[in-house]
Amino acid sequence: MELRICHLYPDVLNLYGDRGNVLCMKKRLEWRGIGCSVTELPIGEKAPLGRFDLFFIGGGQDFEQGLLLDDLRAGKGGEIKAAANDGLAFLCVCGGYQLMGHSYETYTGERFAFLGALDLVTAGAKERLIGNFAFETEFGAVVGFENHSGRTRLGPGVQPLGRVLRGSGNNGEDGTEGARYLNVFGTYSHGPVLPKNPALCDGILLAALRRKYGSAELEPLDDAAENAAHESVLRSLGIN
Amino acid sequence: MRLFLAILLCKLARAALRLLGRGGTALPGSLALKLCPDIVARLSRPLKTIMVTGTNGKTTTCRMIERMLGDAGFDCMANRSGPNLERGIAADLCANAGLTGRPRKRVAVIECDEAAFKRVCGEMKPAAVVVTNIFRDQLDRYGEVTHTLESIRIGLERAGGALVCLNADDSLVASLAPDAADRVRFFGIDVPLGEASAVSDAPRCIICGAEYEYKYHTFAHLGGFCCPKCGYSRTEPEVAVVGVDSLGPEGSVAEIRVDGEIYTAPVSLPGAYNLYNAAAAVAGVTALGVGAESAIKSLAHIESGFGRMERFELGEAKVTMVLVKNPAGCDRALEYLAGVPEAAAVFCLNDGTADGTDVSWIWDAGFERLFSGGQRREIIVSGTRADDMRLRLKYAGADDGDVRTVRGTAELADAIAALRGQVCVMPTYTAMLPLRAELASRVGRKEFWK
Repeated sequence: MELRICHLYPDVLNLYGDRGNVLCMKKRLEWRGIGCSVTELPIGEKAPLGRFDLFFIGGGQDFEQGLLLDDLRAGKGGEIKAAANDGLAFLCVCGGYQLMGHSYETYTGERFAFLGALDLVTAGAKERLIGNFAFETEFGAVVGFENHSGRTRLGPGVQPLGRVLRGSGNNGEDGTEGARYLNVFGTYSHGPVLPKNPALCDGILLAALRRKYGSAELEPLDDAAENAAHESVLRSLGIN
Repeated sequence: MRLFLAILLCKLARAALRLLGRGGTALPGSLALKLCPDIVARLSRPLKTIMVTGTNGKTTTCRMIERMLGDAGFDCMANRSGPNLERGIAADLCANAGLTGRPRKRVAVIECDEAAFKRVCGEMKPAAVVVTNIFRDQLDRYGEVTHTLESIRIGLERAGGALVCLNADDSLVASLAPDAADRVRFFGIDVPLGEASAVSDAPRCIICGAEYEYKYHTFAHLGGFCCPKCGYSRTEPEVAVVGVDSLGPEGSVAEIRVDGEIYTAPVSLPGAYNLYNAAAAVAGVTALGVGAESAIKSLAHIESGFGRMERFELGEAKVTMVLVKNPAGCDRALEYLAGVPEAAAVFCLNDGTADGTDVSWIWDAGFERLFSGGQRREIIVSGTRADDMRLRLKYAGADDGDVRTVRGTAELADAIAALRGQVCVMPTYTAMLPLRAELASRVGRKEFWK
């Protein structure tokens, strides 16, 4: 078995540590003897997205957002949306998660059309939601660090990825965090999110493997270090 | 009268804290600011001040400037122990002042936090400002690098006619150059030192957004940058490292060109990144009128600052403490550590406010370089986020059997003292303070406020 991972826009969507997710997926495949290749697709470069099995897209700085939108409009945006609808696996974090939605409206009222691959909209707010947080998912509790001014509202076309245990999540109000649609996983969680949440990582890998091979199982790994880091955040949040 | 009371209260509070065995400046400074909000402006008015800001290298650059000014015969004050927010600066200015506000020392070397710079620079009206570099750092506190850039830009505008010394190799910092060319002095490194980092904080032109091309790289996004679209590019610096003769664990020897004249400069601090600090300091003091030759000579006598390549001998352990705060600084420290393959490594990761509450940044630092080619060494992890650190090392390729978790400052100091040979300790800021105090007391070194 083999997974071909595509890291979208690593040149501009690379805020604090999110590339650790790609490293985590790669290592957890390799430790199980499953092949893995990682291809980076920066602004201005194109490749047929159908040749990949799993996409990662992180968060970025506002400064580069204009350039990114131009590149998406030049064609990549439609391809990403088609790949998501086709059941290919995605992990989208923070800015990358917002980007998969319909639109983003800034605090000052400026509206940007985004990809529309996920049925959700985001509006900027003055106050940032910052801190360690945790949410409950089908893979158990997930811990991470959120840092966003955007408030995301989910439409009926997506499910929340989880329910907030501590912290703010999508908007600090409705108790949802992230979104799930087919094999697309969206979340506000940095940390990076996968290393400390091995069950979520394996869940995403399995989704990609099953999409590709029909059925697949993953052997368990020794996750003592992963679980220790996971537990320590839960403890610091007063959970467990 | 308010000024008199503020100075008096600040001095008393500081003395009281010291009696309690604490060296804090935040509380006394806050008290003084509360009583007299413009105390920084008033106390710095009679001073000739040089301010240093930027993400990395502030403290070391200040120590170099202080030494250079001292060697050139200027008696100067400095905020030496790293209280670089407005309240810490206020406290140190009070300490330098008599009760009437008259300064004891008339030249000041002030390290200033990037976010605080916006305000403090306008109050101090420095004669010269040095901006070392801008990297991503504590996003939970500073936000994006462009916010940091903006804060410094506003500070410089408020400074009025200060001479501005900028890192020519940093496309972000260099963009701060004022229009008046006679007010700016660039420093930089003319030769390649290394590779670009995996994640660049400034891949695209700050002016037009096109991707930069590089003639050469020194560190991270620093180097000979050029925008192919709008032509924004590195300016030839007035102070430049034009050659590196040697890089050793005790220090380096470099060729430094100052205003056209080339000098051979032994620098008493190890690590190629200290050559940037050296060039920054030379640019700063020569802007204030110190002779280049004198400034270069001083570089051979720089003692490492508080927790910055600071050395301790503890039993058979030869400890080097290197403060790390962000991916760029951590990569420099890891580069140093990779060059000492026999050294044990101690990583102390805290997530206090002063460290950054988001520890994600460790995934942007290249810990992999410690394990390339199957290198192994003894490793200790500690701090409030020791488990995160240990996990990062696992994914970087560490053999988990080589890694121990030690909790508690005294326990960690014991574990370090039990090691033999070279030990490189890399703590974040709030992890460094108690550990440094513990190691210092064990070797009988003075606390920073004494």
